[in-house]
Amino acid sequence: MSITNKIQKVSNSSALFEFVKWALIACMMAIFALPMMFAFFAAFRPPNEFYASTVRIIPEEPTLSTWVDAFVSLQDQLVNSFIIATGTTIMSMVIVIPAAYVFARKQFPGKITLFYLIIAAMMFPYVLLIIPIASIWDGLGLYNSIVGLWIGYQIFVTPFAIWILRDYFAKLPTNLEESAQMYGCTQASAFLRVVLPLSAPAVVAVGFLSFLTAWNDFLMSNMLTTGVGPRPAVVQLYIITTGEVKHWGLVMAMTFIIGFPPTVLYLLGRRQLSQSFSVG
Amino acid sequence: MSLHQWSFTSTAPPEFIGLENYIYLFGWEPFYTSLKATALFATTTLVQLIIALTAALLVNSISRFKNLISSSFLIPYTLPPVATGTIWLYLINPNVGPIFKFLTNKNILDSPIYWSVQSDTALMAVIGITSWTFWPFMFLILLASLESIPEEYYESARMYGAGIVDRFLHITLPHLKTAILLAVSIRMVWNLTKVSQIYQLTGGGPGYSTSILAVFLYRFAYDQGQFGLAFAVGVVLLIITLAFTLLFIRGFEKSRSDNE
Repeated sequence: MSITNKIQKVSNSSALFEFVKWALIACMMAIFALPMMFAFFAAFRPPNEFYASTVRIIPEEPTLSTWVDAFVSLQDQLVNSFIIATGTTIMSMVIVIPAAYVFARKQFPGKITLFYLIIAAMMFPYVLLIIPIASIWDGLGLYNSIVGLWIGYQIFVTPFAIWILRDYFAKLPTNLEESAQMYGCTQASAFLRVVLPLSAPAVVAVGFLSFLTAWNDFLMSNMLTTGVGPRPAVVQLYIITTGEVKHWGLVMAMTFIIGFPPTVLYLLGRRQLSQSFSVG
Repeated sequence: MSLHQWSFTSTAPPEFIGLENYIYLFGWEPFYTSLKATALFATTTLVQLIIALTAALLVNSISRFKNLISSSFLIPYTLPPVATGTIWLYLINPNVGPIFKFLTNKNILDSPIYWSVQSDTALMAVIGITSWTFWPFMFLILLASLESIPEEYYESARMYGAGIVDRFLHITLPHLKTAILLAVSIRMVWNLTKVSQIYQLTGGGPGYSTSILAVFLYRFAYDQGQFGLAFAVGVVLLIITLAFTLLFIRGFEKSRSDNE
């Protein structure tokens, strides 16, 4: 085969390759975006349109009243969710930042073992913990309280957060603190003034992660709250869907109202979070 | 804090109060139904890997709209699982949901499938929806790993006339190996311990046919208050996930020694 032939063949096959590639991407987009779009537009549908026999993506008579109704009926639970998630985030930052820094920078006996225990905790089946936590929290008077949920979520949040932040701290050059200390900083102020501002993106991303973990959780909040306690929005949605649903448009609007905050936070913090796993 | 969970579980040692529970469990039909459901449900990890790998390779090979496409892929993962569960409860609702309406209108199906009352369709729905929801986690890991492959490797391979298949087999795949190991093992554990979506979609039923071990445990603990049995199920689940945790730690150590 002559060289020109070979080049011709390559460019032909690469044009075909381009086509197949974009066709596949379009397919995947359809599989993942179409259901989402359909559900989203359903939130604008008045009740009677759900019984029409034809399938349309765009509602015939779009209405905003579903969104208003959904928001009004979820108000209290959304406030609960917000308080629960914000408190969880603040508490986890206080625990995670120093822990991750110590793991990244300091040598101490049992460090490796302790670190593997954190990995094990990250992969521990949390569903096993709901019984002991429920009974211990009940004994401590934390059952059905917001503080109880704040503390409970630390078990979910801290291992993964330490894992991500430790990685970020470890990648910063060590001479940062050394030179800061030469200019008269103490070790603590070197950390606060130099390391922490430099790691702001990672710290913010981990904070987002804590927030959305607490916001999204069903397992623990369902176990630790009752109707008279601080019930979060996700649990309320679950209760609505396991009963008889009369107006799916309203439920879809609720779904997207609850889903909006974590999605925005995740997309904002995404780059930092995925970097800790870029291995090999 | 994260260390406390080990002692939490040991405050109620299953060896003492639990032996009877194990005997009961192992002689009880639904336990085997649950084990079978767990094994079948585990295939969701494979489905997620295939989708994630395909998507990561595709997204990595394009330059336009890269951010837009990968961000929109992430959305199912970022929503609360109960929210994606709700979306699918509507979409595949046999009476009002658009999917069965569409299929019956086009005469592909004679009548809607009442998927939640048959074991095999209920299990399929649960596996499908779990895969749909959670694959982007693997996608993120694999894409990050793909992006870290130096472009020069591909250039020099091209100079020596390596085709696209050769380049994939000899550069991409070996580079991804550790990332795949990490992603599969962590995802496997997380998939097997998921409760909320399955519980919401089917309640673990019909019967026990979609009660994977974690849901089985939850039903004992939450619905029936049988803590002893729930613990026994938990120990079985723990042993299974521990195997994958060890796999994860091996992958992690390997990636560390590769980097040094």
